[in-house]
Amino acid sequence: MRRSWLPLVAILAAGCAVRQPEVPLHAFVAGDLAQVRQFAADQVASGPAENEALVRNVQAQCELLLGELEEARRNFEVAGRIMGSWATSGGEAAGAILGSESSKTYKGDPYEQAMNAYYIALCYLWRGEPDNARAACKRGILADAEVGDERFQADNALLFWMAGRFTQLMGLPDADAYFAEAATAHAFALQHGARGSPTNPVLAEPRHGNLVLVLECGMGPEKYADGAQQELARFRSRYHPAVGARASLDGQDLGVASLLLDVDYQASTLGGTAMEGIRKGKAVFKTASTVAGIVLLDQSTRSSGDTARTQAIAGGALLLAGLLTSSSADVRHWPTLPSTVHVLTAEVPPGEHLLEIDFLDARGRSLPQFRQRATIQVPPHGEAWHLARSLPPVSRPSRPEP
Amino acid sequence: MTIRFAATTLVCFLAACAGTRDTRVDPDAPDTITGTGLQSQDIRSMVTGMAAKLKADGILNPGRDGERASFFITELRNDSSDVIDRQLILRDLRTELFDAFGRQIRILDRSPEASDLVDAERRMKERGQVSGTNDRKVAGSDFVLKGVIASRDRQAGKLKSSYINVTFELTDLVSQELVWTGRYEMKTESEKSVINR
Repeated sequence: MRRSWLPLVAILAAGCAVRQPEVPLHAFVAGDLAQVRQFAADQVASGPAENEALVRNVQAQCELLLGELEEARRNFEVAGRIMGSWATSGGEAAGAILGSESSKTYKGDPYEQAMNAYYIALCYLWRGEPDNARAACKRGILADAEVGDERFQADNALLFWMAGRFTQLMGLPDADAYFAEAATAHAFALQHGARGSPTNPVLAEPRHGNLVLVLECGMGPEKYADGAQQELARFRSRYHPAVGARASLDGQDLGVASLLLDVDYQASTLGGTAMEGIRKGKAVFKTASTVAGIVLLDQSTRSSGDTARTQAIAGGALLLAGLLTSSSADVRHWPTLPSTVHVLTAEVPPGEHLLEIDFLDARGRSLPQFRQRATIQVPPHGEAWHLARSLPPVSRPSRPEP
Repeated sequence: MTIRFAATTLVCFLAACAGTRDTRVDPDAPDTITGTGLQSQDIRSMVTGMAAKLKADGILNPGRDGERASFFITELRNDSSDVIDRQLILRDLRTELFDAFGRQIRILDRSPEASDLVDAERRMKERGQVSGTNDRKVAGSDFVLKGVIASRDRQAGKLKSSYINVTFELTDLVSQELVWTGRYEMKTESEKSVINR
């Protein structure tokens, strides 16, 4: 009787499995951010609570690109609190281990937590709070350090560089330490397969410029299940024509932006996880119990009396346990992230300027469908930061300066 | 046996689909939602503790001639790794100081919004658009109170610790002397579940 708990728990847990939300990526890529935001808002209101952080991140990202800064900040922060909490109930842990892994609350992989922190940092910068922006960067750096493979625990050059810029904005003297970490992280990432160039003007002159352009290219990686029992979580890149960007101000070329963050690389260097070992064990159990169940059922047809009945019961139970054991990897991921983040800095006169951003394909050719124009205000003191994504132009109000 | 099994199944099903709660709790009570960073209990303990320490120190007590000391709260710089609503803490601290000192001190509002309102009101009075006269100067300050939130975070494998230190300082705005300082500390330790590793 006691053994009947195992399939029972599996049934209950499998029943609570949560799927990746069907975010309308075609609309996102087409620049219809209002539709994606509405989808995400509906999911926040009536979708599975376990996916709240995921869909809030998507909603906030749309709001940020639409210029709705306060809404974006609030949603990123709620998502960040869920993603950053290490607390897990025993029931949730048991459900994810015995049943489907995707029954657990989505908290994202370290690279997703780092991206959440990056967006929160931008929101606080535009709110005029560089210290909170820097706090978000620090949290992102800590999240990046949670990867299983220790070699890749501090390779997010973008967050280190941003923390340095915000320290500079706060008027504190320790910005150089962050800039040095950024250069080290960039060199390390390049050595281990990240995209980018060893010659990086932004990291070579990290304090340069009163205009900072943060340019996001492409679509981030897709997480999928691999292996005979779908027990392996893997990442694959999504195709998008935009792989780089350049900008001009009032008709004058500012040059090509430098790649500071390769999101695909960050995802792929996650390293082995403890859950992967558990899923592999469940996959072995699933295969073994299914095979044993079939063998016993087959033998029961050739036996007779009590032996046949015992074999049929045991075989049926094993087959059922095998079929109900879910070894599938949790493949929920933040699907609207960019593939790369580039930065371009320039020293420009204060005042109003016409900014033009051209996203580039792999051959360096301009992609006119993504060309964006914006009127920006560069303050007499401080800096102007502008965020753009390789999407068809979205109309939005200009942002306040930090 | 069958009834027991069915009952157990039903109990498990109901447990798995248990409802949520929506309960009013004491802001001074520890958070059931744990995690690193300052929680409501910390903010409450911090502001009441700071106000009590400042009062006990006596630096803000009225002088022999009964003149009240004046001060304003300027900034709370966040050097930690946790984004925080500074205004929430500063407003609470200001309220707590009012509660602790009553009319014994003068707390000035030096926010840009207050300055704009004062300027506009003074202009309207000068023009005779509203009643009243500008018969007093904008109050000067004897002291300024400011603070810093700092943190030290360590993590190794499945464990993480976060130490937060909040320091407030009161500076004499004539002599530039640091006349009082107080701190609040808290530390949390977290263990990551195997399902999130």
